[in-house]
Order: sequence, then C-alpha cells, then structure tokens
Amino acid sequence: MANKRTQPVGGDEPDRWEAQLRKGALEMAALASLWQGRLYGLEIIRFLENHSQLVLAEGTIYPILSRLKDEGMLTSEWVEAEAGHPRKYYSLTDAGRLRLRLMAEAWTSFSGGVSRLLEPVLEKKENPQ
Amino acid sequence: MTTEIQIESYLTALRLHLGPLTIGEREEVVREIAAHVRDSAEESGAAVETVLARLGPADELAAQYRDGLLIRQASRSISPLKLLRATLRLATKGVFGIFVFCCAILGYSSGVVFVFAAFAKPFFPAHTGLWFQDGRFVDSGILHFPPPAPPAHEVLGMWLIPLALTLGSLTLLLTTWAIRTSLRLSQRLQSRL
Repeated sequence: MANKRTQPVGGDEPDRWEAQLRKGALEMAALASLWQGRLYGLEIIRFLENHSQLVLAEGTIYPILSRLKDEGMLTSEWVEAEAGHPRKYYSLTDAGRLRLRLMAEAWTSFSGGVSRLLEPVLEKKENPQ
Repeated sequence: MTTEIQIESYLTALRLHLGPLTIGEREEVVREIAAHVRDSAEESGAAVETVLARLGPADELAAQYRDGLLIRQASRSISPLKLLRATLRLATKGVFGIFVFCCAILGYSSGVVFVFAAFAKPFFPAHTGLWFQDGRFVDSGILHFPPPAPPAHEVLGMWLIPLALTLGSLTLLLTTWAIRTSLRLSQRLQSRL
C-alpha cells in the first residue's frame, strides 16, 4: 500500500492515474445512482457498471456508502426480500441531494474546461500529420 | 456446503479485521457484505470464489472501513489521544498527513508547556518566568536551576499564571481545531483514494 503512494503519477503509469480518477468520482457516482430512488449495494454497483466504468473492486463501494451515511448524506433501512435475506437499501437525504447537485455543477464546469483544454490534443491524435 | 464455508471464512476474516469498530457497526457491515455475496452469486450464477474475488481481500475491505471511521470519529472528538492517533494514521498516507502530524505535536507540546509553567510558578516562583536585564530579554524557563543571576530579574511575577494559562488554553484549542479541520479536509481527499 505504502509503495503505491510514493510512486509518482507519471506517464509510465496511466493505468494508476486512471484508477485514481475513477475512485475520485466514485462518491459522486454513488450519490447519483440514488437520485431516482432507493437501491441496495449490489444494485448500486450494477447501476454504476451499466452507466460508467467507475467500479473497480466491488467492495470499494460499501465503505463509501457507510461514510456517506455517517455524514448524513444517505439513510439506510433493512428490507426483507424474496431472496430469503434482508437487503440494506440506501436513499438520499436532503443534504445528500444538495451535495450531489453542487458536485454535479462543479463537475460539469470542471470537465467542460478540461475538455476544451484537451481538444487540440485529441485532434492531433486523429490527424497525426 | 463448501460455498457456505468459503463465505463464512471470508466473513470471519472481515469481522476480525474490523476490530476497532463497535460490535453493532461490525455486525451491520458483515450482514451487508453477506447479503451482497449471496445476491451476487445468485444473480450472476458465478462461483462464490469469483464473487469474493470481485469484492477484494477481506483485510483490505476492512481497512477501508477502519481508516474512514478512525479519522471520522476523531474529527468530531476533542480527545488529544484520538486526534493524535488519527493524525498518525494520516501521516502514513502522505506528505499532508506528515505535516498535520508534526503541527499537532508542536501545538500540543507548546500548549502543555504553557500550562505547566502556570502550575510551576506558585511552587518555584524564583525559577519560573521571563528574565530581563536593562530592559532587554535575557532568558526564560520553567524550573530554571539556577535562575539567571542578578541584575537579571524576573518580570512577570504571578501575572505569569493567568497569562500562561490563557496562552496554553488558546494554543490547545487552536491545535484541536486545526487537527479536526485537517482531518475533515483529508476525508474529502484521502478516503476516496
């Protein structure tokens, strides 16, 4: 774990850089998955898999949900299911909705700026000469 | 049957590594992960090994819960022990953590020194204080044996007590506030990485 951190995020490690980028967006993604209504952990993971490439190890999402709940962004309840065991469903609180809205605004303006910045780089790639 | 054993041994390892959490918190985590494993295996028809592998090693999963919780609880606490433990944990994670840890040590020790000076003064009035000579600072100290020789003289007298207590309390308060703020900040940055 420790040597992973001390290594610089450099050109020879685009995979690690990408992994960090994904993890950085995971909290927002987890909140976003609950925008339409309550879901349990596995549903959140599947939702993120279907809509993004954010989930790495499936376990990562659970500590994030636990933290968001602790911060008052989410509530949870155990619901009996036909599966024979109860499932822990998460829902957004008002504070969670507000935070997600602010994150979404910040993200959109940030990523818009970065995309404009990167336009020439991508054009070059398409037409190398 | 073997799948049950595999699941149980994963959950036992998880429970073991979640040690510092309360029993209630620990069982809640284990219950949720157990439900995940069963649902995931049923839904995809995948082998339990695959489901557990996708979940990641039990000790790593537990560490993510533990670190988050340690720092989160400390950021709401005023206990120097809890705050120092959390900053120490933070210090293993990068330069920001090391900086916070050093500031915490410096802040607490200065605060304690001021408070100690206030308590030492009534018992060792001649050996604790601030010494001046010809209007210029010469020395300062607590339990200063022997004290600076005359004509250097101690200038604060018993005023040192309220002054040192105030400075000490302010330093300790400021340190506590600074650590808590740093821990909260680190939560936003670190726990996602």
